[in-house]
Amino acid sequence: MQESIQSAHRWRHLPPPPGFSNTPVRHASAPSKASTAVSANYETLKDKRAWDFAISPAKSLPMQAFMLYMSGGGVQIFSMGIVFMLLLSPFKNLAGVNSAFAPFAPVPTGKKAAPNPGALTTLVLQKVVYLLCNLLTLALGLWKCHSMGLLPTGTGDWLAFETRSQPPEFVLL
Amino acid sequence: MLRLLSLWLMSLAILPAFAIHASEAGVVDWYKPLIGDALTGNPNLSPVFHRITEDNGKTRSLVLTATSSNVLSGLHPENGSIAWRYLFEDGNRVLAFKKHKNWVAAVSGVGGATVRVLDVSTGHLLHERHLHKPEAGRLLEPDSTGVALAFDSGSHVYALTNGHTVRKIEVSTGKIIWGWTAPDQTSLNVYSTVLPTSSAIYLIGLAKSFASYTLHITSLSPVDGSLLSSVDVPSSIEHGPASLFVLSKPVGESEHARILWLESNQIRSVKLMSGLNETPTAIKAATYRELVDLGLGDHGLLVAVKDDGSGQVIKLNDEGTGLKIIWEFADSADSTQHTASMYTGGLDKAGHPYIGRVFWSRYYKKASAHILAPHLAEGKGLVTGYTLPFETAVHGIIGNVAIDAVNLEEFRVLARVVITTTTGAIQLWQQDQLQWTREEGLADIRVAEFVELPERKLAETGLGEGHETFTGRVRRQISEARDFPHYALHFAKRFVTGSYDSVSSSAMPTTSDVASLSRDTFGFRKILVAATARGKVYGIDSANGEILWSRVFGLGWAAEVGGHVLPLKIYTTRTVMDEETPQVVIVTQRKANNGLLDTVLFHIDALTGEDSTGKSRSSDVLQGIDIIAGALVEAYLVRDEATKFVLLFDEFLQAHVYPDTAENTASFAKLIPSLHFALRTGQVGSLRLTGHRFGLQKEFTGKYIAHPTWTASLAEGEDIQAIIARPHEPVASLGKVLGNRTTMYKYLNPNVVAVVTSSLKAPTPSCAIYLMDVVKGSIIYHSVLPAVSGACDVKAAFTDNWLVYHYYDEDFGVDQAKSYRVVSVEFYEGTGIDDKISSSDLSSHSNASTSVHVLEQTYVFPRGISTMATTMTKFGITSKDLIVAGENGIIQSFPRRFFDPRRPKRKPTNEELEEWLIQYDPVIPDDPKRVLSHTYQVANVRAIITSPALLESTSLVFAHGLDLFSTRVTPSNTFDVLSENFNKAQLVLTISGLALAILITKPMVRNKRLRERWYN
Repeated sequence: MQESIQSAHRWRHLPPPPGFSNTPVRHASAPSKASTAVSANYETLKDKRAWDFAISPAKSLPMQAFMLYMSGGGVQIFSMGIVFMLLLSPFKNLAGVNSAFAPFAPVPTGKKAAPNPGALTTLVLQKVVYLLCNLLTLALGLWKCHSMGLLPTGTGDWLAFETRSQPPEFVLL
Repeated sequence: MLRLLSLWLMSLAILPAFAIHASEAGVVDWYKPLIGDALTGNPNLSPVFHRITEDNGKTRSLVLTATSSNVLSGLHPENGSIAWRYLFEDGNRVLAFKKHKNWVAAVSGVGGATVRVLDVSTGHLLHERHLHKPEAGRLLEPDSTGVALAFDSGSHVYALTNGHTVRKIEVSTGKIIWGWTAPDQTSLNVYSTVLPTSSAIYLIGLAKSFASYTLHITSLSPVDGSLLSSVDVPSSIEHGPASLFVLSKPVGESEHARILWLESNQIRSVKLMSGLNETPTAIKAATYRELVDLGLGDHGLLVAVKDDGSGQVIKLNDEGTGLKIIWEFADSADSTQHTASMYTGGLDKAGHPYIGRVFWSRYYKKASAHILAPHLAEGKGLVTGYTLPFETAVHGIIGNVAIDAVNLEEFRVLARVVITTTTGAIQLWQQDQLQWTREEGLADIRVAEFVELPERKLAETGLGEGHETFTGRVRRQISEARDFPHYALHFAKRFVTGSYDSVSSSAMPTTSDVASLSRDTFGFRKILVAATARGKVYGIDSANGEILWSRVFGLGWAAEVGGHVLPLKIYTTRTVMDEETPQVVIVTQRKANNGLLDTVLFHIDALTGEDSTGKSRSSDVLQGIDIIAGALVEAYLVRDEATKFVLLFDEFLQAHVYPDTAENTASFAKLIPSLHFALRTGQVGSLRLTGHRFGLQKEFTGKYIAHPTWTASLAEGEDIQAIIARPHEPVASLGKVLGNRTTMYKYLNPNVVAVVTSSLKAPTPSCAIYLMDVVKGSIIYHSVLPAVSGACDVKAAFTDNWLVYHYYDEDFGVDQAKSYRVVSVEFYEGTGIDDKISSSDLSSHSNASTSVHVLEQTYVFPRGISTMATTMTKFGITSKDLIVAGENGIIQSFPRRFFDPRRPKRKPTNEELEEWLIQYDPVIPDDPKRVLSHTYQVANVRAIITSPALLESTSLVFAHGLDLFSTRVTPSNTFDVLSENFNKAQLVLTISGLALAILITKPMVRNKRLRERWYN
């Protein structure tokens, strides 16, 4: 976002294409009432979209659950692919959470652009919801792993790492 | 999905999991049939030549012998191979055999309970007759007294049994024609010989009278067995049946016969005729000390040994009226130059008798054989003599000889001599040429162990003789780098042709370096060091059963008085892991003939049989180390971190350390506070297991002394039969993971042993099996088993946390049938799933150490067994098979899965299927595909030893008893090598094709990319 603004600034002095007027439309120095209404409308729309985006992982859950069901319980390339996707996408999503929410950053009234759209503090509530929804996806993936027996939950999974030392008595047999 | 997968895996495991192919017979395994060491000094049992006339008039010979392993056998004299052998069952000891024409008759059992007639050329049993119940047999000393067999000139055999019963048996049908029993059946009158003649059947026996025996003769009618006459001949025989002989000789239709006996050093004789009324006469020429049976009684020949030791040949004269001395062997008198002579008789093709005399010359260190042909040189007799280069350091002392002669031309006699030695070897010498040797001592192996071979590199460079310096190592590696091109070429060739070592091929090196003793790629080739009861130790190549070396145990000081050495234990004290040649220590007990008992150690190099102490030369017998002057109580191999040494206990429980190096004694002293062990104590018949510890201070003798700490509380009259310790092997997994991924932790307390006991004197005889903690004597498991006909025949194997035992249950009822049972017991820690007490490093004194839960299940086993063992692999990851030697002479493997005590008694659930549990079935399946011994009859197996190969999947198996058998087994298939039918050529072709494709397409692609840049 930042970059696109800067790049726009960079090409400002180029001549306009033929047929386009070079002179920008001059407005009054104070924003008009109409534009204020438009931008407010735009802000609510962004807010709505941000909420939509935040719960989008949860929306795809039924579909993913259906895919998991179809992939079966065996350890094979198809089911493993889906499980890996389920396990990886939450982390990938969370890693890109700031940039993903940056377009929805609210622009405060009287400002041209959002002051710090990529900061963690913008849209905190939506991000928290987004995190929870991603955790739901992750939980689904882990549940699938568990049902396939891939999670080291039993003592049997740790048996190979157990060691025993020498017994205190030395018996001749 | 999971279920399908596990089902598929299971079908892999159940279906011909490791089919034993006929093509593998004799490649991965070997079998050496033996007959046991031939009995010596008894003309009715010792080796004898027999000439068979075949239908086309040709003749061939066999060497017939009975052996101490209770086998009657015929050997081919040409190559020493077994023509046939007949195994008598236990408790039915062969007492005498007699050959005649195409038959050999044998009498066996107490008092001669059974008579069998066999075909002499094939050994097929023609028929057998039980003459009396074994209980009705008379126990005489020696047990062949009162038992005799005799053929008449027709086809009847006369069997004298129990010392007072004679039966006439038709050979071809086995029908008893008549039987006669002496009216006086007291032990005072025992018949020892039966002599059939055309006119009468003579029974010659001895009647016990005051201080000596009186000759007693009975004659019976050959037609119906009616008594003709019975007389006592006035005589006084001191030495019993051993100094009583019958000489006979056919004259026309009838026979002359005389009885000879030794009476106050004089030979007296009496003619056998219908009236039995002749008075005895004596040979007055000399005084005699011994009569020697040549087996030529029916040719009227005998050797009498004079008081000075010289041997005279005595012959029944042609008229049958008296005896004449026809020959006296020159220089046969007792002398320090040579040993006492052994005499034997043989026949040539024409039936002429020959007399052989064999003695050992102490001066020349060679054996001499003199063959007397009495009929040659116009009836004056001809002696042919030669020396045999008999190796006494390898084969011991000559114990028995048998001869067979051929008269090629007038003054030329060739003889074949069969020699039986004290180490159990049977040799055939043709004149002075050794034709073959059979090492029959191997039929009585007492201890045996697999010893790993060094790698070829090590064997060649002699690496390991001390440590090399850095510069030395660099120099060596540079010099070895010369071989790199060759190696690379070899590697490339091997890679392309795919000619790798195969697991299903013989472990014997095929190339020229057979002589160099080195390990094969997979470690299938090891050395079997086996010590026999005959005082000899052998190094046997486990790849093909060839004897690589053999050494005779020396008697030490007892060589003066004679004695024998009995091996008790064998320990590998140094392995190739120690970067030196492997060594074994054999613990033996030497019984000298003067009654003194010593414990002697033999420390030998396992690769060559050389004495590791360097005391004895390689051409001589082994010199032992007399470590204890007295009996051995117990011996152990102590495996400390750094060292391995043998710990021996004498009767005062003093500990002797061998090798007695400073390192070993220091290590022993360090171990003393934590050492525990259990000994069998008390009287035989009520042995007790008693735990012992050491006193912390040395006694005044300079030795540590052990003292008892506990005694197992067995019932009154309960006796220990066997103590079974776990083999020394790694445990791969500390627990058993169940289908729901919980764990049952294995009870791996290292201090437990299995103990088999018997209480036969109790009102209801029973046997029992215990699992005991040796440190504090606590009983962890106890089970009472039925005794069968007053004996305990419980076989057990114990490994890991798995105890399996086999017994016969003769109870029967509504829901029970008589059968062999096998019980599989598994021990797990704590009270159930996920309960962990860490038993393998827990102190036995801890309360938790007896916290164990036991899972057990009984199965019906298809057959009786003589022994069993579990397979052993390098890391213990491979599942274990039970190797069982059946009483029918087969060796079979049974997978552990069949013995799993957790086999569900319903359809297995998914989780149980994941554990590969199969539904309970009372009968262990008897799968003929798992018979390891193919069609061989591996007879009387006494022990099975297993040893890991270098491949984790494979275990080596060696079974010994009468026969030797070795094979290798893969309980979980050869999972660690590429399968045999893997298409290596396809792989190589694919890879090289892909490489070629890359080579070709790479420039094309590069050109195309360049063009795209320019024109787009």
